[in-house]
Amino acid sequence: MHLSRLEVRNFRNLAAQVLEFPPGGVALLGENAQGKSNLLEAIYYLETLRSFRGAREDHLVAFGKSFFRVEGEVQGEEGEGAVVAVAFDRALRKKRLTLGGREPQRLGDGLGTLGAVVFAPSDVGLVSDGPGVRRRFLDLVLSLNRPGYLQALQAYRQILGQRNAALRMTGGGASVEAWDSGLVRAGARVVLERFRWVERWGERYSRYFFRISGGEAGRIRYHSSFPLAGAVSEEEVAEGFSAALGGTRHREARLGSTLVGPHRDDLVLTVEEGERERELRDYGSGGQKRTAALALRLVEAATIREARQREPVVLLDDVFAELDAARSERVLALMEEEEAGQVILSAPKESDIRLRRHTLVRWRIRAGRVET
Amino acid sequence: MSAMERLVQEFSRLPGVGPKTAVRMVFHLLKRPPEEALRLARALEDLTRKIHPCRECGNFTEDELCSVCGDPSRDRGLLCVVEEAFDVGAIERAGRYRGVYHVLGGRLSPLDGIGPEQLGVERLLARVVGGGIREVILATNASVEGEATAVFLEGLLRPLGPRVTRLARGIPVGSDLEYVDGSTIAEALEGRREM
Repeated sequence: MHLSRLEVRNFRNLAAQVLEFPPGGVALLGENAQGKSNLLEAIYYLETLRSFRGAREDHLVAFGKSFFRVEGEVQGEEGEGAVVAVAFDRALRKKRLTLGGREPQRLGDGLGTLGAVVFAPSDVGLVSDGPGVRRRFLDLVLSLNRPGYLQALQAYRQILGQRNAALRMTGGGASVEAWDSGLVRAGARVVLERFRWVERWGERYSRYFFRISGGEAGRIRYHSSFPLAGAVSEEEVAEGFSAALGGTRHREARLGSTLVGPHRDDLVLTVEEGERERELRDYGSGGQKRTAALALRLVEAATIREARQREPVVLLDDVFAELDAARSERVLALMEEEEAGQVILSAPKESDIRLRRHTLVRWRIRAGRVET
Repeated sequence: MSAMERLVQEFSRLPGVGPKTAVRMVFHLLKRPPEEALRLARALEDLTRKIHPCRECGNFTEDELCSVCGDPSRDRGLLCVVEEAFDVGAIERAGRYRGVYHVLGGRLSPLDGIGPEQLGVERLLARVVGGGIREVILATNASVEGEATAVFLEGLLRPLGPRVTRLARGIPVGSDLEYVDGSTIAEALEGRREM
């Protein structure tokens, strides 16, 4: 599968244009602030229906315009295709999604049409920022690749909000506990899916980390706010969650919020140093943090490959700019081996194109307009 | 504020009516003969004057008792608890239920400030304590709030003696599995029964 066509209107600084993408991909060259990242953002918007840079929709609308629209066509090897389009109206504050010209029942049904992963310099935040960022990463990867995950997560969030409000309203008792069975059911599903993902990909992550770092032992672990103790079924996880809820009743009543559950979990990234295992978030060097972030994105790509049985579209947003020379050589070698699909990368100048240097078609971007 | 603006504002408070529809409704009324608008006004006035909750169940009625509670042939040992009065209409249209109702007037939603007191749960408990009720059917919606409301009520009702049941969830009648969403199928699998 690859992105074959993209049509943008009123998206950030991008000029209204239709772009036909070659199956192998393109290298997008341009000075700073010409719209390279904006174009990648528009492409990835079709995958997740939100900005990978965390921007609000009304900030994506071009200055002085009332709406934006992005449409993409995805094509498979046998010519089978899909057209996905998203429009956002600033005044109505409404997103409208169409798949093949039809509006699906839920917005969530439009997630993951493209099968893309984006590598950006800001990814280092996955390692250095707080647990919420890593939970969001897991939630996004699983929502896009595991059927039912998004529904479980949405139900969990809704029940959690209600339960916390009930705690503040009454401080505890039957009107709080009424939410427990729903919370535990949805929460167990979320925790188990995240836990299984880490189990499935942990070794792969370590392999990538080893390759990119040039021989360091990096590990990934799911840290649950209640003991999982090798729990393998939804029932076992639910039991553990339920017991933990029971154990925090006094404290949560005092604090007015639910203290255990997937909303308090974390993905712990470590590196072995001598005899010790150190958490990268607190003790990692800049290079180690970037390495871990790259390894996470590569695992994300592998997840897409496995779940959807196709090569992910790889979007690289000027990603090697802040990586030291040795590491970037190694990650490039790794990517040349692993990534066989379409690559769309952005770079300030010709010498920064280091992946598929000889095969990628060059496009220039100036003031939001792409010259093919 | 002009009379027009006032009416637009009132209409746009109604569920499912946005500001644009509200404006269209007002212009429509202005174009039609004035009797039509006055008929609407009178209907609204009658509604507020004549309709009130049934003394027994909370369903809307013009009389002291609603048509269900006033029907001597209904089984008073069977009580169906619903969120809203229009849910009574939905179940009545199915034509299979012979018991009586209890309308909560909402569901637990602490985020909207709705707790047990706001739902008048005491009134429901008093009815059950009053005696003669063999079974309470919890027919709140299959949403997370409806589910929590059912769990909450079950905890209060069971110690009082009656059988407490919950409406089944699953595949809509007449629909193809292919088009049923994943979480509904998961529910249906869980709630499967012996044949």
